[in-house]
Amino acid sequence: MSDAYLQLDKLTLAYGDTVAVKNLDLAIGKGELVAFLGPSGCGKTTTMRAIAGLLTPASGRIGLDGADITRVSANKRAVGLVFQSYALFPHLTVYENVAFGLRLKGISGADLDARVGAGLKSVGLTAFAGRKPAELSGGQQQRVALARSMVMEPKVLLLDEPLSNLDARLRLEMRAELQRVQRETGVTMIFVTHDQVEALALADRIVVMLNGGIEQIGTPEEIYNNPVSSFVADFVGFDNVFALKEGKLMTPNGPIALSGPAPQASAGLAWRPRAVVLGAGPFQGTVRGTSFAGNSREYLLDTPLGAIKAEIDASLPPHEIGSALAFNLPVAGAANLKRFG
Amino acid sequence: MSIRLFSPIVLFLLLVFLIGPFLIIIAASLSAGDTLAFPPQGLSLRWVTKVFAVESFRDSFAMSMFLAVFGTLAALLLGIPAAYALSRYRLPAAEAVRTIVSLPIIVPGIIVGLALLRYLVVPFGFNITVALFFAHAALVLPYAVRVVSASLDNLRSDIEEAAVLLGSSRFGAFFRVVMPNIRGGVLAAFILGFVTSFNQVPVSLFLSGPGVRTLPIDMLGYMETTYDPSIAALSALLAFLSIGIVFLAERFLGFSRYV
Amino acid sequence: MFQNRAEALALALPAAVFATLVFLLPVAILLSEGFRAGGAWTLSAYTHFFSETLNRTVFLRSFRLGLEVTAVSAVIGYAAAFAIVNLPPTGKGRLIGLVTLPLMISPVARTYAWIVILGRTGIVNQGITGLGLSAEPLRLLFTETAVFIGLLQLFLPLMILSLISALENMPRDAIPAARVLGANWFQVFWKVVLPLTREGLVVGGTLVFTGSLTAYITPAVLGGSKVLMLETLMYQQVSVANDFVSASVIAFILIVMSFAANILLKRLATARNRR
Repeated sequence: MSDAYLQLDKLTLAYGDTVAVKNLDLAIGKGELVAFLGPSGCGKTTTMRAIAGLLTPASGRIGLDGADITRVSANKRAVGLVFQSYALFPHLTVYENVAFGLRLKGISGADLDARVGAGLKSVGLTAFAGRKPAELSGGQQQRVALARSMVMEPKVLLLDEPLSNLDARLRLEMRAELQRVQRETGVTMIFVTHDQVEALALADRIVVMLNGGIEQIGTPEEIYNNPVSSFVADFVGFDNVFALKEGKLMTPNGPIALSGPAPQASAGLAWRPRAVVLGAGPFQGTVRGTSFAGNSREYLLDTPLGAIKAEIDASLPPHEIGSALAFNLPVAGAANLKRFG
Repeated sequence: MSIRLFSPIVLFLLLVFLIGPFLIIIAASLSAGDTLAFPPQGLSLRWVTKVFAVESFRDSFAMSMFLAVFGTLAALLLGIPAAYALSRYRLPAAEAVRTIVSLPIIVPGIIVGLALLRYLVVPFGFNITVALFFAHAALVLPYAVRVVSASLDNLRSDIEEAAVLLGSSRFGAFFRVVMPNIRGGVLAAFILGFVTSFNQVPVSLFLSGPGVRTLPIDMLGYMETTYDPSIAALSALLAFLSIGIVFLAERFLGFSRYV
Repeated sequence: MFQNRAEALALALPAAVFATLVFLLPVAILLSEGFRAGGAWTLSAYTHFFSETLNRTVFLRSFRLGLEVTAVSAVIGYAAAFAIVNLPPTGKGRLIGLVTLPLMISPVARTYAWIVILGRTGIVNQGITGLGLSAEPLRLLFTETAVFIGLLQLFLPLMILSLISALENMPRDAIPAARVLGANWFQVFWKVVLPLTREGLVVGGTLVFTGSLTAYITPAVLGGSKVLMLETLMYQQVSVANDFVSASVIAFILIVMSFAANILLKRLATARNRR
């Protein structure tokens, strides 16, 4: 069985006695843009650092481009890393920061100049070559960090929370920037994030992680529409998540029958607020709260099934707080969960 | 109000008490007369020039300089790696290392000098100069570790990781990326160590011998027998040296930031 | 990347080993000499040491002078610190610089000045005989007073700097608030300033006290063999009487005082940080 371009086999990572990642298996293809998505402490950053070589695995194997790099030291791995804090060298100019790795390879003179120039040009910072990092804005620093890694022509580029520190507008710009770089160079890119919006927007494939293991791997559409576990469902915005036992929804008030036949081999069902049908259905609820969100109106209902979050078009007549409402959770509109808990 | 009168009087008296004696020394050293007196009998630079001519002073000055410069360098050579280990790693027994390295500040210097004389010099025929060198290095070590540690703690460690990922060795990363950014702290530690070692007396008390003497010890010996303004002149010169070094350090380095 | 414990030890060990061999071990052996006699562990050296009048006198004198210097430096320190803290920023900075300045100068130089001032033909005596207050010049050197003055001048800056820091950390309106409530200046000091600056006082006091106790140069130059203090006694015991056991006893006393001071200061620092 041939390895994928980047292959993680039964990888176990620990800090001292604390196990952060356990028996992780993952295959990433050449040129893919992959997101590691999960809450803090799930092991996504730890895995990233292990790929970079900053952490030695307790057990397991890492393969890159056909070679076993598990024991290869970080400075020989052809892996690039853009740190969350950018980690620019404060005592060097932008030019020297970008040139750093190239100089270590023995590249100098006109060749060095050409490559650094190209790197700076590709991130639009040619005019800033003589400045020091302290003189740059956050967004500019990040682009220097990106150029610094990219001029090394890495086999894999890792990015630690690349969009978290940016304001909304910069975030959009940087997203476009990363996509452009990936398209133009075809570099295999992995970024770590806790923000599902970023992951859904950027990635070809998303690896959702929890507690040191993988919950689900899939395309953004798959993750968004077909979460396999209650955790993933909750993470990507299914606000109404229920375990299923013997065809009944498990609610805080005990098991309650579904409005239709339950799907086979299902551990739970999850509905997005949009999927809740208001105004008709076998269930009854009282409107506890409502908020206007531009295009839609959100409702929080107190029901025998617990709190239900619903959302309908803003153009439809609103429901008053305190009013009683019939509603349905149609089985057809639910995501089928294979795992619960 | 009495407060408003109180302040200037207190401050004036304070400065007279603290700095006055120093000014008196300067005046006494400019005396043209043969004995130590204030007010000086006439003004002359003869005593100031004389101290440069006294061979014993030149020798002991050279010794003090040697100890201050090389003792501090030795302390830095030992202290910088230790500070790095304490700052960047979760060192087993970190507290023990920190304590052992800080002890020389707590233990009075005279005890160290005596102990080294008794257990290193006398029984093993250890060279006194070497023992003095060790003693001064040990004396400065705590300052070296403390100041450099502070600088390292203020420097993020991810730039070292970045350097390694760009192809540098760990060792190379330290020199290319860490040292340039803690340069100020290292320099401040050197200056602090230099001044501490140079002005140190008790440590060197017992570790003296024929031809092996630090300048302050030499001065103390001279004071016991001769009563001329040489010591005043020497004291004044040394004081200006110390003040000058610290002043320049503050001006060009912002010395007080590091200590 | 900073996980490797072997690396960490390799980096820290040279300094630790050096300090242990050159410093810790010799000092430890020296101290042990005070607790052994004829191969057995005993306190006989200590009982013998304190049985000698001279030793008791020196011991008590050192403590007494230490306390006196501390007390006087506290009084002057508060006055000076108060005056300095109320200065405009430029003046304050300059004054603090001037107060710190003496600390840069070698103790030999600082102590030597007093010879010029207190000697037989020194300034003070010139004034006294000149004004006819006494026919003969007074013997001011090699007295406890001379040592006291020398130590005071040496350590006063430490107390002042400590109190300045404490006063600046005091809530700005505490004093005016007390005044408005009717307190006179003595009450303001005793009930407001003192409690609020207590830590600074303790820090300064500890530095001054241990400094005075472990001083060598000032007692040597200004006290000579007439006014022996702990360290000058130690020097004398070794160089004149070759008595290393007494030296060990004195060393132990000095180290215990110094350690106690250090622990106290550390505890105050952590208590302050916890707040």
